[in-house]
Amino acid sequence: MSGTRDLTSPSPRGRGLGGAGFAVPDFQAFLSTPLGRSLARLLLALVLLAVWQYQPSDKLRFWMSGPIQIVARLWTWLLDGSLWGNVGSTLLAMSLGYVIGTSIGIALGLLFGLMPRLHRVLSPYITALYAMPKIALAPLFVIVLGIGIESKVALVAITVFFLVLNSTLDGVRNVDRDLVRALSVMGATHSEVIRKVLIPATLPWIFTGMRIAVRYAFTNTLLAELIASNSGIGFMIEYYSGVFDATGTYAAILVLVIMSVGLTELLTQIEARMSRGSAG
Amino acid sequence: MPKVELSAVSKAFVTRDREVQALQPTDLAVEPQEFVALVGPSGCGKSTILNLIAGLLQPTGGTVRYNGAAVQGVNRAVGYMTQKDTLLPWRTAADNIRIALELKCRAGPRAEVEHRVAQMIDLVGLNGFEKHFPTELSGGMRKRVALARTLIYEPETLLMDEPFGALDAQLKLLMLDQLQTLTRQRRMTVLFVTHDLGEAITLADRVVVFSARPGRIRTIRTVELPRPRDVFRIRFTEAFAHLHESLWDELKDEVTRGTDV
Repeated sequence: MSGTRDLTSPSPRGRGLGGAGFAVPDFQAFLSTPLGRSLARLLLALVLLAVWQYQPSDKLRFWMSGPIQIVARLWTWLLDGSLWGNVGSTLLAMSLGYVIGTSIGIALGLLFGLMPRLHRVLSPYITALYAMPKIALAPLFVIVLGIGIESKVALVAITVFFLVLNSTLDGVRNVDRDLVRALSVMGATHSEVIRKVLIPATLPWIFTGMRIAVRYAFTNTLLAELIASNSGIGFMIEYYSGVFDATGTYAAILVLVIMSVGLTELLTQIEARMSRGSAG
Repeated sequence: MPKVELSAVSKAFVTRDREVQALQPTDLAVEPQEFVALVGPSGCGKSTILNLIAGLLQPTGGTVRYNGAAVQGVNRAVGYMTQKDTLLPWRTAADNIRIALELKCRAGPRAEVEHRVAQMIDLVGLNGFEKHFPTELSGGMRKRVALARTLIYEPETLLMDEPFGALDAQLKLLMLDQLQTLTRQRRMTVLFVTHDLGEAITLADRVVVFSARPGRIRTIRTVELPRPRDVFRIRFTEAFAHLHESLWDELKDEVTRGTDV
């Protein structure tokens, strides 16, 4: 067995022996170079796309469409402006809900942290609401707020709110009481203790909650749009699949994939910058 | 009138349904500008006394008076340097030292505040470390930041709980010298908890020896050494050795009892 492994490993010796009749080691060595990897990926994608595009069954064509049609549809959307309207609608609902949920979450988290008795009275309700999947409220929001942007914003806001509320509360609870005492002995007023100790000590916890909440905000905007709405990427997916238009559905999903990758990339950048900031 | 006066002050803690007597009824009066060192085995209630004077704990029995008035709530007239350095981890050394002067009750012109911060940094020998965060400083440096942070606002009474425990011997002597100069110059009253008898004799007007738990005062000795004292040489004088020996006789029974040797 060990002899076989020797031959397939991309070692210089393996490469040297490649000329003597072993094609396998050469291919593996090529795959481990950046260029080889990229070419292999491209090749794989082309093969899959070709199979998708040139599969012979008309029945499958109806359900699966084809890459060329999908890109063509995307191009039409780009030209007639309907894409930007819907991407904008999704992003607007997501950001509004995020900002509202985050602000109320931070404010109430700090308030409950400073008034532990009030928090103790309310905590069973908060825990119950936090544990409940917020998506169950979506139909209710649609009845009350309609299928416009309001119900999407409401669903995102309430999801984000609970996440940020809980991380803020955890933060306030974890403040070192000795720091608070030290400042009080120095003569700090109640509000100075809040400004100089409680808030700075809680900030990292708040940021963690806000970071996690971004992904939840995106997912919940999509969910709200899929359930009932009149604009947004989720609405496009729901609409085109409703009229059995596979091309439109896949084109909308493609837009969604691009948005997700963009968002993830953005978050990674922010996280990297923040961890650099706290290290220095 | 004494600056600090404890009359029949006792303190008991309740832990897991069990009452632990930390401090038996204790009387102690500290005069203005007096430097009093509290020594004794660990867990003898020395830190409890400082917490009571700072108003962070309420006595179970008796009264703690400051300037003749019973201490109620946090006592803002004292500066308290606790055993644990309570530096704010998100502030640099200089920002930590400055914090007391940022408070409304002590607000001053910016230039003067910066001048005093620079002075304190110089005093505790932290030049070059102003912009370092507490996590980037050694234990000894953190102690010096905590000391500077307490001294900068010149409280009339200083409570110190083993402030120089983490310092090496040479640096400790330097800090003791600075502390003596500064507290005499600014006419501060000092209560200084330490486990180092030499440190206590070097600095104090009176040394209070505590017995092991439950804590009570075993003896109080006046240190009759003239001031200002040369902290670097006083330990080699005969008077010092004599005092050290007799106090150690008092202390050693308690230390062995307290640590269950």
